[in-house]
Amino acid sequence: MSDKLNIGNQELGSRLFLGTGKFSSRQAMIDAVKASGTELVTVALRRFNREQAEDDLYGPLSELEGVRLMPNTSGAMNAKEAIRAAMLGRELSKSPFVKLEIHPNPHHLLPDPIETYEAAIELVKQDFLVLPYIPADPVLAKRLEDIGCAAVMPLGAAIGTGKGLSTAEMIKIIIRDANVPVVVDAGLRAPSEAACAMEMGCDAVLVNSAIAAAENPTAMGAAFKTGVDAGRAARLAGLMPTSEVAVASSPLTSFLSVDD
Amino acid sequence: MTKQLPEWLTPEPWLNLEFSSADIERALHADSPNEKTLAALLSPEAANHLEAMAQKAQAITRRHFGRTIKLYTPLYLSNFCNGGCLYCGIAADRRAKRAVLDEAQLRHEMDAIKAMHLEELVLLTGERMPEADVPYLKQCVSIAAEYIHNVNIEVFPMPENEYRELAQAGCTGVTLYQETYDQDVYEKMHRWGDKRDFFARLDAPDRALKGGLRTIGIGALLGLADPRFDLLCVYRHAKYLLKHYWQAGVSISFPRIQPQLGGFQADYPVDEKMLAQFIFALRIVLPEIPLVLSTREAARVRDGMAGLGISKMSVASKTTVGGYSDDIEDSTEQFSISDERNISEFCDMLRAKGLEPVFKNWDATYRESASYMKPEA
Repeated sequence: MSDKLNIGNQELGSRLFLGTGKFSSRQAMIDAVKASGTELVTVALRRFNREQAEDDLYGPLSELEGVRLMPNTSGAMNAKEAIRAAMLGRELSKSPFVKLEIHPNPHHLLPDPIETYEAAIELVKQDFLVLPYIPADPVLAKRLEDIGCAAVMPLGAAIGTGKGLSTAEMIKIIIRDANVPVVVDAGLRAPSEAACAMEMGCDAVLVNSAIAAAENPTAMGAAFKTGVDAGRAARLAGLMPTSEVAVASSPLTSFLSVDD
Repeated sequence: MTKQLPEWLTPEPWLNLEFSSADIERALHADSPNEKTLAALLSPEAANHLEAMAQKAQAITRRHFGRTIKLYTPLYLSNFCNGGCLYCGIAADRRAKRAVLDEAQLRHEMDAIKAMHLEELVLLTGERMPEADVPYLKQCVSIAAEYIHNVNIEVFPMPENEYRELAQAGCTGVTLYQETYDQDVYEKMHRWGDKRDFFARLDAPDRALKGGLRTIGIGALLGLADPRFDLLCVYRHAKYLLKHYWQAGVSISFPRIQPQLGGFQADYPVDEKMLAQFIFALRIVLPEIPLVLSTREAARVRDGMAGLGISKMSVASKTTVGGYSDDIEDSTEQFSISDERNISEFCDMLRAKGLEPVFKNWDATYRESASYMKPEA
């Protein structure tokens, strides 16, 4: 059975997206990308370096077959900066995607909902497939869907913290109400958490630190692939409902007979 | 001059606490590190837990910054100075060879820096002088910004409007060390001139951030005063800036007194082990803050500390005016470089340690737009 993910008009075979910062070398990054089976990786515009190949993350990724690139606006502190970064990213990469990422505080890197909303309006007008990185706020997610974002990417926890699905209850509401794909972005540490996100009904997950900061990033890339695949398969298979109490084999209502 | 440090800065309540080995263990595993945590980790007792501190510092650094080291280099525009800093190689009373770069010389320096592919730069001068005042700095910032993405300054304190002018010229951030937060020592060290005004320097980061600069680097020159006093102040200063300027990027450096012209001897010498302990301590209590180590330190120390708390390092530095292009025959350096490796040697070392050198981590496309300003109440 085909289980492709559609974002806008783009079809993806893998539901694992990768971030590309924090790796010990470009080769380590490439190896992890390959092992993960991802078809969509995101690269910060600030890490595009056209003048020094050795320092450029975009170049080696763009040569990978079957992997599409999604420039991101990390480093932008407001809508205006993010829009400029998105434009430049598209010009350089020709990608239809943009990961809209506005974090005005460079330390916790949490997304600014107000600036993100304003930038999204403009970028949708400019025909980007906009994937905004957002707080796990169900109302904001709907507002972004309403103005035409191609997906929403609520955070599981703050970037680089590895605190997992701290926002699970809010993400469940976002999933329940969404008409666009929901991608959990940031906070995941273990493949089991990725599996959990997929079982909850997320359409994909985006992982960076958990792979780049693992002891063996390549092996962790492969492990996340397995986690995402297992979680997705479980979602499709249909999980058994949970119950607070044992299910009685002789139901209390068995005395109620159909009137005869 | 008032001798009272403001309440938000004073380290007094945490200065003379005694810590046991169990206290250090507790500090190492603190859920919400605070001043007391830092005081414990800076204490002599914590020196017995150095390896555990190193492990923790490395794990935190890896989680927040990945396996990367951000690179930058300093560029001395001028060593003219009327300052009276006892510890400085270019103080006014040193028999220093003075020089200031003209535009052509600056462009040669930028060519040399560009040839190393560096994309982050700190422009330095001495105290405010006619040879290198704000109009000159503005011009230098604009020129440097033609060449590379991220241009910063490490100069004299100035009013908010002048910081704004520099931000508009393309400057991203300011580095300004208080040198020491101990006012008695500060007064002794800074014998004359504008720099004697402790509070004008202390408030300069506020003015820089209000003026639209994005990042502020702070630090104390280790060796001048009790380093535990100074580092508690650095921590409290950083926390204050983070609370009051929520969009500001704050970083901390660890300059340490090294021999230079004038033969200045540190009253509170900080040895390598102490330096390492202090860096680990700051990393543990401030997991998200870039910590910086310069070429003042020897190669062996720098190699060891890369990724062990330290997330950003200067490289291939010259501390003379015109040092990159050799345009100026002779100028006196501000301090001596201990790590004289060139950029490829340094990057090879990082890579051999499993760390990726990052040259470009910011983009000039973010330069011109106005920063968020708090709405007027």
